[in-house]
Amino acid sequence: MGAEVRQAKRIGLLYDGRASTFCPGCEHGLLLKLIARALEELGVADRAVMVGTVGCSSLGYLLFDSDFVQAPHGRAPAVMAGIKLVEPDAVVFAIQGDGDALSIGLQELLYAADRGIPMTIFMYNNMTFGMTGGQMAPTTIPGMRTTTTPRGRDVKLSGSPIDACRLLSAIDGPAYLRRAILAPRPLRVKGKIFYSAREALEAYRIVLNAFRAQLKGGFSFVEFVGTCNVNWRMGIDESKAFVHEVGAKYFPPGLCRDIYGLEGGGKV
Amino acid sequence: MTAELLRGAEAIGLAALMSGVEAYFGYPITPSSEIMEFMASEQGDPRFPRYRAFVQASSEVEAVSMLMGAGAAGHLAMTATSGPGLSLMAEGISHAYVAEIPFLIVDVNRGGPGLGTTEPEQSDYLFVTRSLGHGGSRAIVLAPEGVGEAMELVNRGFRLAFEYRIPVVILTDAIVVHMRETVDVPELRPVLDGVPPWAVRGKRGRGTRNALTTGFLDSRELKEFKEGLERKWRRISEREAYYECHMCDDAEVIYVAFGISARVAAEAVRELRGRGTAAGLFRPITLAPFPSGALARLRGRGIRFVVMEMNEGQMYRDVREALGPDEDVEPIPMMGGIVTRSEVS
Ligand SMILES: Cc1ncc(C[n+]2csc(CCOP(=O)(O)OP(=O)(O)O)c2C)c(N)n1
Ligand code: SF4
Repeated sequence: MGAEVRQAKRIGLLYDGRASTFCPGCEHGLLLKLIARALEELGVADRAVMVGTVGCSSLGYLLFDSDFVQAPHGRAPAVMAGIKLVEPDAVVFAIQGDGDALSIGLQELLYAADRGIPMTIFMYNNMTFGMTGGQMAPTTIPGMRTTTTPRGRDVKLSGSPIDACRLLSAIDGPAYLRRAILAPRPLRVKGKIFYSAREALEAYRIVLNAFRAQLKGGFSFVEFVGTCNVNWRMGIDESKAFVHEVGAKYFPPGLCRDIYGLEGGGKV
Repeated sequence: MTAELLRGAEAIGLAALMSGVEAYFGYPITPSSEIMEFMASEQGDPRFPRYRAFVQASSEVEAVSMLMGAGAAGHLAMTATSGPGLSLMAEGISHAYVAEIPFLIVDVNRGGPGLGTTEPEQSDYLFVTRSLGHGGSRAIVLAPEGVGEAMELVNRGFRLAFEYRIPVVILTDAIVVHMRETVDVPELRPVLDGVPPWAVRGKRGRGTRNALTTGFLDSRELKEFKEGLERKWRRISEREAYYECHMCDDAEVIYVAFGISARVAAEAVRELRGRGTAAGLFRPITLAPFPSGALARLRGRGIRFVVMEMNEGQMYRDVREALGPDEDVEPIPMMGGIVTRSEVS
């Protein structure tokens, strides 16, 4: 994310010039940048509180200049609830990994959502445990090899991918539920690879909506499907293509809940 | 002060409300649930406008994480639980210890380990005093002997939690929590006036951000931070070790007991004095830090020490360590929470 940090000079919430903790080709840095910009655009940067999760996003706080508290693995939604219930003016958000949110922290996520406590959670779904070296996650797709499914995920033994948006759709609490693909689609033009800008622009509008939902008093959850080229053992372009070609089948982008009509009837 | 007949659970809740508690997050477990139920019923009480958040969490893990959030935001938050719940809370306590987040946990000790019984024991002593959570985390531990003192210790617990930015545990049991006593209700003052400067609630014009982290980038950074925490703990040990020494001056026999056991021991002291034996009672009020210095001052007088506790002899180790190998120290372990007359005398 080095280049992105350098560009970020204008964005008040992002520290300039710090070495990124993310691997090259990963969308974690992009997500941080979109969040920073959205908080500024909404004029709430000064009230923003980032709750640290445990996973690759956890070191993002080093790049992000808001108040911050680190939660134990999976517990961010509960820590966020604790803050929000005594500081209702704070704008509280977290970037959870799929393991943090759906494995160890499923209960905390589910109950924060069920209570509809105003907060905003972005789940970075990279279909693996990135930080610990690429083990199976609840979102690992069938047949996918990880360090703990060396022969590919066997659904008979290890279950099928958990669809967070559908799961959360089953309860009434959430105000805004959304899934989108964060990885830019690689486009081949005259033998050269270009990245589509569409995903980032759409993601930005979704991030804005997620915060708007919190500001209106609702619980918002966005699942961003991203890459982890390092642990997938793929090239960067290949990993981005994989998300669009294979990942999207299991995690189709779309709106699951929007009680405030932020997306104007389903379209972003 | 006004005299009132109060149940322990109610008194603990009332003391928290008088101290300005703002949030209660808990998960029911016998024998602590009466505290939670009282706090549920107090929602919206106009006498305590600061109290605004009550959540029945889905587990103790969730409850303690909520305490972390409210504490990090600089607000008074509490819970009550018992052994099995406390085990689950160890995660949050370890994180809160290193992030220096204050909150208060009332542990109503039941028989353990495992599910144990719902009868009183003091068997969480080692767990709460030695290392509540992984990585060498700690908490200040206070043990009231009855309903009135429980009120004072709730207030003091919150004060200590915020002064030192550390989790605080009140270690008590079903007897104290369920019994009704006439107490002189102390005039307790709200612990906080205003927002602590370290609170995580958004920068709101502050030049620099507040960041409470529990992870470190390298061993050197962790080492320095932990050295700071150890200095803090030494300060706490020097200043905040409380105890009561009752009829110790001429005593030949001194009972060492805490919490409800100390009430039983006090009875034994009275009886022995009636029979002409000079007995006394040393009662630690803080179990962590343990009042070792005060106990050690009783060395070399030929006193016979009797350590009475409702467990297999857990505090005995601290007493032995404070007194050294040469003193006469006898443990009276009372497991299963059963106190028999013969054991005591
Ligand atoms: C209680 C606990 N168990 C295990 C770990 C080790 N651990 C750290 S991150 C992680 C998984 C992270 O995966 P995910 O949430 O998907 O995030 P990613 O790194 O992929 O972004 C695990 C198991 C931990 N820190 N705490
Ligand atoms: S391990 Fe994967 S998810 Fe984590 S920073 Fe690297 S590429 Fe991104």
